[in-house]
Amino acid sequence: MTMPQLYNYDLDENCYRVRLVAACIGLPLDLHGVDAFPGREHQSAPMLALNPLGRLPILRDGDLVLTQPEAILLHLAERHDPQRRFVTDDPVRRARMMEWLIFAARDLSMAVAARTTSMLGEPGDTDALRAGARRCLRIMDDHMTRQSLAGSDFFVGPEATLADLALFPAFALSRDFNVDHDEFPALRLWARRLRSLPGFITMPGLPDYH
Amino acid sequence: MQKGWYPLALSHAIAAGTSAGTVLHGQEIVVWRDSSGGAHTWEDRCPHRGMKMSFGFVRGDHIACLYHGWEYDQGGQCRYIPAHPKLEVPKTICVKTYPAAEAAGMIWVWMPVGMPVEGGPAEQEATGVRSLYLDRALDEVEPHLSAGFGASEAAREDGVIRLVTDLGPLRIGLQPVSADRCALHITLAGTAEPGTLVAVAARAEAFRRRVESATLLAAE
Repeated sequence: MTMPQLYNYDLDENCYRVRLVAACIGLPLDLHGVDAFPGREHQSAPMLALNPLGRLPILRDGDLVLTQPEAILLHLAERHDPQRRFVTDDPVRRARMMEWLIFAARDLSMAVAARTTSMLGEPGDTDALRAGARRCLRIMDDHMTRQSLAGSDFFVGPEATLADLALFPAFALSRDFNVDHDEFPALRLWARRLRSLPGFITMPGLPDYH
Repeated sequence: MQKGWYPLALSHAIAAGTSAGTVLHGQEIVVWRDSSGGAHTWEDRCPHRGMKMSFGFVRGDHIACLYHGWEYDQGGQCRYIPAHPKLEVPKTICVKTYPAAEAAGMIWVWMPVGMPVEGGPAEQEATGVRSLYLDRALDEVEPHLSAGFGASEAAREDGVIRLVTDLGPLRIGLQPVSADRCALHITLAGTAEPGTLVAVAARAEAFRRRVESATLLAAE
């Protein structure tokens, strides 16, 4: 099996999600650098041929081309980790995991947009996006508060799943769009646990400590 | 600001070797715990370039700034500057420290700055439930606490409100954050089952929905 190829921009948090999951399952990726900023190469003709949406990340694994971040995470965790450490076959746990993966895809897109408008000058209503992102982080903090009180260290149960890895960047990078970590004590403790997972990696902008 | 001890965090929320930022009456404060567990409350500002110390990291008994790694000891004195490793750091380089205490499951700070400390916050065996951050001033929130948590009795003390509820005796630390925000540090007196703790947390979330919604509040 050849190494999966990731079309990657280091500062893109969705690309980081993919690199993070690959690192945690010990899978080396063939990184193909894309000059997304300032070059906008992800919207060039050859890239649009791969993903007509003009977005990163793109994963090419043999004949398979995937462009939706959560689908990429699921694919890596199911196909490339023989131990299946970050997925579960229990239908209820899997439903809970999917719930948070879709939250990460749909609702946390406000956090992704808040960050790109703040940092990379993408168009958008920064104040509204920031308020929406803060509301999502509150929902996450409320959930992790209840999980911790009930004795679970992670979003779905006592072990980390793809849900945790998919949710981590939006919280960890929230200072980039001026939402501090002050008000999310349960997420601070959770992020610290996540940082101690074997293989965990950071991205530029995330300090390599804790 | 009235002089006294103000709660800033639940004890369990600040793990050994970590830091967090918070705000009291508009003043930014870093709460951090050294590796041996001691709690510290300082001005949240590195004197070098003004970076928040709460963005930094704890190394043993020191807290280091994220920008340039300047390290400060438990007294707030700068001890190490990585760019000048051989330099004996001048005594004048220090972070402003505030008196800190730990009692009844919470970390407290004595304010305002410069006032001599009188006594300590009241002790009590307590289990931390959660901190609740509200987009409302404490003055607006306080009158609704008793009803919001379903209390049959309420008593105000320095920095806390005690509520007798069907879920047990609650003791809630009151943190005035700013003119339009506050934080409640919710504890249950004594020890409690996980199910009870989760029920208190759920009640806290419902309380936040009520006090932050103008229409729900007006209906009370």
